[in-house]
Amino acid sequence: MRITTLLRRGNMSYSRMSKLLTELVGSGLLLELNQEKISRYMISERGLQFLAAYQQFEDFAQSFGLRL
Amino acid sequence: MAGGVDVSLIADVLQFIGVFVSFSIAYVAFRGLRQTRSPAMLRLATAFLFLGVGFMVQAVLGLEGVLSVLPALTTTVIAGLVVASALMETAGYFFLAFSHALDVMFSKRLQVALLLFPVFTLSAAQTTDALSILSFYFILYGVVETFTAYARTRKPDTLLIALGLALLGSGTFVAWLSLMYPVVYVLSLVQIIIKEVGLMILFIPVLSYALGGAKANGPI
Repeated sequence: MRITTLLRRGNMSYSRMSKLLTELVGSGLLLELNQEKISRYMISERGLQFLAAYQQFEDFAQSFGLRL
Repeated sequence: MAGGVDVSLIADVLQFIGVFVSFSIAYVAFRGLRQTRSPAMLRLATAFLFLGVGFMVQAVLGLEGVLSVLPALTTTVIAGLVVASALMETAGYFFLAFSHALDVMFSKRLQVALLLFPVFTLSAAQTTDALSILSFYFILYGVVETFTAYARTRKPDTLLIALGLALLGSGTFVAWLSLMYPVVYVLSLVQIIIKEVGLMILFIPVLSYALGGAKANGPI
């Protein structure tokens, strides 16, 4: 996914989005692919695992009437 | 009196179920904290860690009273440990209620609860009585908030947690009564049974998380 698509979908400023993307790539949740000078981002295996775990613990917190 | 000793022994052994359940929930919440870094998970882990430690101290002290396995403890030390365990339990319930309080940012219900607080605390003569009343209040608040959450989400797990907490609250209330009427041995057993059933109900939805499920590779 290109950064312009992410900006549109996330409704965020460029500076905020690039900071977030750097953080997510740094933690290994996203993969940055450079193709023809264009950066594309895709979710990594670790990112998918994190999402699954996050959903599970969100469910767990909801059971106690809490928000994650 | 022999019946009293039996009741105490059963009650103390049952306490260990509470210890196991509390530490299991704390473990799941801690795993959630490591993976999501959520403050809600931190409060939940802290709450059940305190509850578990409180139950454990109570159980060990109770067993010591019946079996006398530990080296001779002075009355002051025992009294201190009893107060410490009650404090731990109260702190656990506080963190449980506190999680909800942060969620709703001091809702009207909490304000009413805090206004009523002094009425009940003034009637308590001893520290353990006061802590028991505080525990009851905190858990009552947690029950109300969890039932409210169930009304919103309609999740069966939330209903089970709310029921479990309600039983824990009832057990705490009976514990308070047992402090007021120490000669009625059965109250001590009844409060433990109610609490243990409550904890076991709490454990049902937590079981699936405790047994594993989705895992990220280490903390993010």
